[in-house]
Amino acid sequence: MSLEQFKRRDALPGYIFYEAEKKPQNGWESFKRVLKRTFKGELFVGLWIVFREMIKRGNSHTLSYPQEKLAIGPRYRAIHKLLRLLESGNERCIGCGLCEKICIAKCIRMDTRIDENSRKEVSQYTINFGRCIFCGFCAEVCPELAIVHSGEYENASEQRAHYALKEDMLTPLDEFKANKQKEFKGFGALSDNADSFVKKTPLAY
Amino acid sequence: MKTVKVTIDGKEIQTSLDRTILQVARENNIYIPTMCYLTKVEPIGACRLCVVEVEGLDGMVLSCQEKVVDGAVIQTNSKALQEERQNIMKLYALNHPLECGVCVKSGECDLQNKTSEFEVNEQSFSLRDIKRKVENWGVISYDSSLCILCEKCVKVCNEIVGKGQLKVEPGGYKAIIVNTKLEDSCIDCGECMAVCPVGALAVNDFKYTTNPWELKKVPSTCTFCSSGCELSYEVKQIGIENSKEKIYRVTNNYEYSSLCGAGRFGFDYENLVTKKDEDEFLNAIEAFKKAEVIKFSSLITNEEALLLKKIAKRVDAKLVCSDAFGFSKFLRAFKKARGKSLWSSTQKKLSQSDAIVVFGSRIKDDAPVVKNHIAMATKRKKAKVVYMHPIEDFAISNLVTKFIKYEPGSEEAMALMLLQVFANKEEMTQDLQDFVDDIDIGFLSGESSISEEEIDELKEEFWKKKRFTLVVGADVFNHPEVENIAKILAAIERYTDFELLVIPPNGNSLGVSLICDLVEKHEGFSVGYNAPADYVLSALGDGDLGMPALNQQEGTFVTLDKRVVPLNAGLEYKGFILNDIANSLGVGSTHTIDFTKELPVDKGFRSIEFDSLEVKFSVDGDDLRGYELETILCDSQIELSEPDELPSYDGTVIYIVNPASNPNPFTNRAKLTSSEAKLIGTKQFASAAKISDGDVVEFEVCGNYISRVFKIDDTLKGTFALNPTFDMGLKAFDLPIYRFSKVKIKKRG
Ligand code: SF4
Ligand code: SF4
Ligand code: SF4
Ligand code: SF4
Ligand code: SF4
Ligand code: FES
Repeated sequence: MSLEQFKRRDALPGYIFYEAEKKPQNGWESFKRVLKRTFKGELFVGLWIVFREMIKRGNSHTLSYPQEKLAIGPRYRAIHKLLRLLESGNERCIGCGLCEKICIAKCIRMDTRIDENSRKEVSQYTINFGRCIFCGFCAEVCPELAIVHSGEYENASEQRAHYALKEDMLTPLDEFKANKQKEFKGFGALSDNADSFVKKTPLAY
Repeated sequence: MKTVKVTIDGKEIQTSLDRTILQVARENNIYIPTMCYLTKVEPIGACRLCVVEVEGLDGMVLSCQEKVVDGAVIQTNSKALQEERQNIMKLYALNHPLECGVCVKSGECDLQNKTSEFEVNEQSFSLRDIKRKVENWGVISYDSSLCILCEKCVKVCNEIVGKGQLKVEPGGYKAIIVNTKLEDSCIDCGECMAVCPVGALAVNDFKYTTNPWELKKVPSTCTFCSSGCELSYEVKQIGIENSKEKIYRVTNNYEYSSLCGAGRFGFDYENLVTKKDEDEFLNAIEAFKKAEVIKFSSLITNEEALLLKKIAKRVDAKLVCSDAFGFSKFLRAFKKARGKSLWSSTQKKLSQSDAIVVFGSRIKDDAPVVKNHIAMATKRKKAKVVYMHPIEDFAISNLVTKFIKYEPGSEEAMALMLLQVFANKEEMTQDLQDFVDDIDIGFLSGESSISEEEIDELKEEFWKKKRFTLVVGADVFNHPEVENIAKILAAIERYTDFELLVIPPNGNSLGVSLICDLVEKHEGFSVGYNAPADYVLSALGDGDLGMPALNQQEGTFVTLDKRVVPLNAGLEYKGFILNDIANSLGVGSTHTIDFTKELPVDKGFRSIEFDSLEVKFSVDGDDLRGYELETILCDSQIELSEPDELPSYDGTVIYIVNPASNPNPFTNRAKLTSSEAKLIGTKQFASAAKISDGDVVEFEVCGNYISRVFKIDDTLKGTFALNPTFDMGLKAFDLPIYRFSKVKIKKRG
């Protein structure tokens, strides 16, 4: 289509003009229209089409939730998970507190302490999902890819406050050992070409 | 001082010749980055980050050290400077562990801030790393892998604390900071940790308990001694399970002021009252109604003191404050003789003196921060320090040029001798001149067991010195002749070159003495506010009705610098407070701090709202907190008398003193500062009392039976023992006796 044609606004020639029904002029004409509309069989035409589609086999476009569930894309931001380190199975979270700080809904809280090996330990970590707006900032800021979003989106609850503790979010050890921890690919995860951004330090010695 | 004109970044500035470029820049809000600069000490010159360019000079100069010269044109920023600074930051970051995520300092770290400020995004240097370990220094630990060798810690320990514990062990990249003489003399004051710009020095107990930015800062004042140092309580919820708040740490404006160990680490002494006890409250009101005496300790705010005064007037009771009574007598006598209500010196002036006499105080324990100012004077002004006391203090021997030992009880004689030696007699009235000429030095020196030569040598000691300060401590306030001593000291301030710095005996003894009319004692039913009595209100939580501790209160204190400074509540208090009682008795107000503006103007207070009291310092570190108490002038009448006979203290003599690290029953409740109370004496004391090291001994002080483990300290001399009171609860505030006393020591068992 040339620009010339595109700019034509006179609605010709592709359009069909449709002469609309004349508006009733007086009470009698209005009454006649009501009668006409009421007793014409159009309603049954519509009903028939619905019925026909309903009984047709193999014609469903929806999932039968909750028996069936849709696969969620990796960037979907649902209920959080705390991951473990791939090699050792230790908790990834180092307690840096960045997620707690950045959280826009102020729904992350954490307790840290010094452990027996003089290292920082996250003794408790909670998210109030009743307040979380699933913005993904926490996952994005986390330097360890420890707090991530999972595909777990069923978070309806009877209460407004809905807390998850560390043990609820952390990959259970048995699941981890069974290699079931899924790596996070969403917001904040390393991109496929991340390696190419690394600048090397000179290691002259 | 000559004024000069300089141009910094195109801005013309008038200033005086003795200022450094950095000082001038800061005064004029021009930013020069620094890493090792600390206002309260002499420039260190270790980081080179403060380099600037001066027109006509090749190369760069260190702005923190270079003084301004007339007509200098200075550039604080250029491409070359930026590159230089970037390179410095790269060197700092060389092999620096990438552990900000778990570092105690993260969020308030100068290295973090400056690497991002100078956009150091890549490293162009490299060096083989070496193995480093974390050292434990007691309360603090040192991690050399985080240390950037700025030497701030070394400098403060030497110049401010006067300990010189720390030194740099050279070795280029391998250089580290070492704590020499660790066991015997690091006093765990935490000054070094406070100034460390990175996470190298950290408090073990605080480490990893929270990220610093989660803490809420509540600016307040330390209450443990009359220095009234500036501090902030840093509070946060206890944890996820318990949303009540607690104090995680105390920080201070370390750039300008310092804290002692007790102030920095003794913060968790709050009174955990969970609810308002209505029944007991009614009992308290009944008790007040029938009270004939209201007893209290001077560890209370000015507002509370005023409330007590109002209550006492209302119920017609007398006010008794054992720990401030002697001091209030001193103050009255001093004012009358001096013609001024207050002494003239301050801690700042003390630190600028070059001739210092410390008199009647075990200074490093009574007022550690006053001792810090003496240390500053010795380091910066080469001050001579004469320490006059019956007991030598080995721990500060590096600061003291001359120790003069006198007999306990002879403070009056000592003061007279000082007056005689230093008085400018021409200025005196004839009567006073005659009196001074007539002082029987032979008799006094005999009684106080110091030789006349020693006193005469004093004058030589201070030859050619310019700025004299006499520091007077708590020994004199409960001396039987306190009034005469006050007059003599007033005469010394008036007729000699000495300026006086008086150390009130307890946190707010000065405020209390100014506000309340105290009596020594009074019979009848007594109510005690933080003092033992028939009915006791106690912030230690051991009384009939609980009261808020000083970290749970708003109010003001008066410091020995004569400033009225604000206290804010670090933690909430859930129970009843004094103001509630006052309200029931019809003399209270909505808030306790409504009384801040009602503090007596005729005593030098100003009618200022609490909320307009600020916490601030000048660029040079002058304390500008709150407001300065006005010195009230009156006629001066000096009529002195000479003692006929001095009391004698032979045999086993104990001296009441609490260690700087644990000065009172409140710090003894705090986790890091509490300790076991021991009687610490000399070998001589042990043999005179027929006891030995480790024995449990019993004795009586002012009606209190005390039992303690005895410990020999070889550094002490004489037949003395040091007796702490921090474990005595409220009774510690009710010892209206001279600090030296003769006791009978009994061995238990
Ligand atoms: S998703 Fe957003 S709101 Fe939810 S916890 Fe993370 S940062 Fe907070
Ligand atoms: S940002 Fe990541 S590593 Fe840091 S505290 Fe949060 S979850 Fe842990
Ligand atoms: S000292 Fe500073 S830069 Fe170094 S790890 Fe700690 S916070 Fe990071
Ligand atoms: S704690 Fe105090 S005395 Fe000990 S090294 Fe640090 S500054 Fe010096
Ligand atoms: S320990 Fe801290 S204050 Fe001391 S030199 Fe190292 S970085 Fe500086
Ligand atoms: S601030 Fe001048 S050298 Fe460090």
